Amino acid sequence: MTRADVVVLVLALALLPLLYVKFWHHGAAGEQVRIRVDGKPWKVVSLAHDRRVTVPGALGDSVLEIKDGAVRFIASPCASKFCIHSGWLHDGGAFTACLPNRVSIEVIGARVRYDAINF
Amino acid sequence: MEFSVQPDRTDHRIAWLAALAITIHIAESALPNPLPGVKPGLANVVTIAVLCLYGWRMAAWVSLLRVLVGSLLLGTFLSPTFVLSLAGALASITTLGAASALSAHLLPGRGLGPAGYSLLAAMAHIAGQFYSAYWLFIPHAALFTLLPVLMTLAVILGLINGIITRTMLQRLSPSSPS
Repeated sequence: MTRADVVVLVLALALLPLLYVKFWHHGAAGEQVRIRVDGKPWKVVSLAHDRRVTVPGALGDSVLEIKDGAVRFIASPCASKFCIHSGWLHDGGAFTACLPNRVSIEVIGARVRYDAINF
Repeated sequence: MEFSVQPDRTDHRIAWLAALAITIHIAESALPNPLPGVKPGLANVVTIAVLCLYGWRMAAWVSLLRVLVGSLLLGTFLSPTFVLSLAGALASITTLGAASALSAHLLPGRGLGPAGYSLLAAMAHIAGQFYSAYWLFIPHAALFTLLPVLMTLAVILGLINGIITRTMLQRLSPSSPS
């Protein structure tokens, strides 16, 4: 290993933690979640207080859990439960939906991390 | 008028080395991948060895021929896999070209060795593949969560390949660059 090799290795090893910090760090925390039913805004709920929200949809009630500034689906009358599997939404711009039940949630924050999400 | 192109010694050498790289590539593709899109990349040992022994031009030829013929043999020619593979190969060749030129001019005699080249090539390869995947196939911001993991693997595997290359070069000729 020449000295130049060692320099390259050190630089590479120094780069790695920077990548983890930059891409694994959650963006600006969301402040509110906008809940839409049938595409129309239904309610905007603050993420500041832990609570559960029951949303009436086409197939039945979807239940959202708000905890520690994040929101997720925890119950939904759909068959595949993709909405629940999306997990916690923290960052501004994060979005998920229960399509069979026609319920969607979008996190609104001061700074938006995702300006569009495709599935 | 009749032109005839005679393959010279360099052509034979490129063909031989490319065949070696392709063989390693095909053999390695039989191994299972723990993580999609990441392979040990043992064929790059040949690329880096060629770079150290015969220069950048030959290494570029061997690398591109390996990507092309490997994809033809594995049946992925012109598929998204091929596009990613090619993007990675172009990125790593370009980086190796810049690195070897800088190394020769700025640090003659004590520049980068196989380990450094392999590390740079692996990281450039992964970066080239990642950004191609991001721009062409999955333009989703959350894809970037994968980048630190991929880059960590690139550093580890690049270093291992570099050490293998160095050991191989030392055995080939005791006086060759380490």
